[in-house]
Amino acid sequence: SRFLQCRGPFAKRRHPLVDSTVVSEIRRCLDEGIEFQGELLNFRKDGSPLMNRLRLTPIYGDDETITHVIGIQFFTEANIDLGPVSVSSIKESLKSSDRSRSGFSAFCPVVVGDRNVSRGLCGILQLSDEVMSLKILSRLTPRDIASVGSVCRRLYELTKNEDLWRMVCQNAWGCETTRVLETVPGAKRLGWVRLARELTTLEAAAWRKLTVGGAVEPSRCNFSACAVGNRVVLFGGEGVNMQPMNDTFVLDLNSSNPEWQHVQVSSPPPGRWGHTLSCVNGSHLVVFGGCGRQGLLNDVFVLDLDAKPPTWREISGLAPPLPRSWHSSCTLDGTKLIVSGGCADSGVLLSDTFLLDLSMEKPVWREIPVAWTPPSRLGHTLSVYGGRKILMFGGLAKSGPLRFRSSDVFTMDLSEEEPCWRCVTGSGMPGAGNPGGIAPPPRLDHVAVSLPGGRILIFGGSVAGLHSASQLYILDPTDEKPTWRILNVPGRPPRFAWGHSTCVVGGTRAIVLGGQTGEEWMLTELHELSLASSVI
Amino acid sequence: MGSTSTKIKLRTSDQKVFKVEEAVVVQSLTIKYFYENGCPSSVIPVHSVSSDILSKILDYCKKYVNFAAGKEDISPEELYEWDANFVKVDQNTLFNLILVGNCLKIDSLLDLTCQTIVNMIKGKRPEEIRTTFNIKNDYTPEAEEAVRREKKWAFDMLRV
Repeated sequence: SRFLQCRGPFAKRRHPLVDSTVVSEIRRCLDEGIEFQGELLNFRKDGSPLMNRLRLTPIYGDDETITHVIGIQFFTEANIDLGPVSVSSIKESLKSSDRSRSGFSAFCPVVVGDRNVSRGLCGILQLSDEVMSLKILSRLTPRDIASVGSVCRRLYELTKNEDLWRMVCQNAWGCETTRVLETVPGAKRLGWVRLARELTTLEAAAWRKLTVGGAVEPSRCNFSACAVGNRVVLFGGEGVNMQPMNDTFVLDLNSSNPEWQHVQVSSPPPGRWGHTLSCVNGSHLVVFGGCGRQGLLNDVFVLDLDAKPPTWREISGLAPPLPRSWHSSCTLDGTKLIVSGGCADSGVLLSDTFLLDLSMEKPVWREIPVAWTPPSRLGHTLSVYGGRKILMFGGLAKSGPLRFRSSDVFTMDLSEEEPCWRCVTGSGMPGAGNPGGIAPPPRLDHVAVSLPGGRILIFGGSVAGLHSASQLYILDPTDEKPTWRILNVPGRPPRFAWGHSTCVVGGTRAIVLGGQTGEEWMLTELHELSLASSVI
Repeated sequence: MGSTSTKIKLRTSDQKVFKVEEAVVVQSLTIKYFYENGCPSSVIPVHSVSSDILSKILDYCKKYVNFAAGKEDISPEELYEWDANFVKVDQNTLFNLILVGNCLKIDSLLDLTCQTIVNMIKGKRPEEIRTTFNIKNDYTPEAEEAVRREKKWAFDMLRV
């Protein structure tokens, strides 16, 4: 029961940190009947890791054969003598190293040793590495870990561990974000320490140009794009003579020579533009609303991109929102579509927020009841941060009888029992002035990117006057007093970027489709804002 | 739960014997395992735990057992507040609670006490962490400078 090397119920293979050379060295020593000394990563019954220093000393019987092996494990503070065990049982437990057995007497020093913190000594340094790593350090932010690692040599060593950084990233950014980051082959090779640093400081962020093959034909504008893993999916749009389109194209950025491919999908939705395309449940795409041949739409279609053959399927969600176009949408918990605002019949602007849970067998639309809504608008963005909070920025908003571009920020926490909109910063709000720093000029149809840790990046869209829409602005809504900052990034940004033509791939790359103006889309010319270094 | 009145005896490092209800003491997975797998004597020795720490830990376990059984007439918010007061202790006691909570495998206690340490670390610079926990800076000046350079990113503002 000594060499557990098991990571609990999820473990299928030996943990990558378990040094297989050490394990084979143990085998060699046992076979040759010599003493082994070394360090081995081991695991408790509950899956928590600990480092063992291990010495295995063979005991010879009268006939020159090994009758026993004495195993001694050195823990951080307590030395526990495992006592003589027979060779066969040690070999057996090496063979069955993937099985977890109770390690009570070996692992719990309840009845041995004295673990009391002595007065006058430094208490925190008396905690074991695993309690420090799993229970304390993993709950801190990347910045805090860097601070802890500067304190003393032991904490420096402890905070070097790649597994710890993965947990830190997961706790700080959420499981969904780390899962997406893991789908990026480069990010994985980059390592969590580096990734945490780069996504915290944005020091590696850069614009670059990408040219891809294939074609999206017939040419169009006002389509919608969305990322599924490392693939960009484009659906519909406005063709020549205001023809509503309903075709689907995929660009696989994992490929060495990415090119646009027209995907034959059966039972496509009616053609449309000004709709939204969102990714749910991993590989599913959802189309909602937009403007079709017969006017505005409020239907919902879902496509599983990985299904063979791929098929559009209409979701007849009960009590749908009003038909609309130029609304905004986002995905919550990876399964729920949120739709807000937009333009209804006869140009009426909307201010409502609806939720459709696509994990349900029969999804039902639900309006999120709020006592107060921000002014109605279209062309705004919705971003998810901090798990279940949403942030609304900009758009063309109603102000009395007029409509203005907005730079207002509103947030709503959907984990609350009675969610409500809160004004975070903006110029249009009573008594606001602008305490929020250098705010982005008011705009609509812009791009919003959610960064790990809750920060929101804004660029592009339609901006009045001489302002450059390419400038990047960043806001951390989790700050006590959220403040806009300008983010300067090397490389040449696109001159134009529109929300419906931009998507975030793998959590670290914002892909902007179209090289020219809103009228003339060159879909083989892409701009990419990469937030972390790309490793080739 | 017909055996709620069953008492288990625990002997601490300072040789005091505690008689504790089974339901309370099995909050410790370690003791539960020990107890269910035949304890070597009628008294379970918890040599690594002093009586003052054990009595505090038993207070914690009792509170949670009673709360779960509906015997505590308090709301979850009040229990949260009780937790907050429970960890308002000197650092020495807090670290002992962590060591023992880990050793006895009382997960909720371990989470509570470790979160307290997390909150004490959050947002602090290295020198503040050293002061808070009385940690000696054991770097040579050269090594400290190297570490400072390595970790500089965390203390700089965004590139603006």
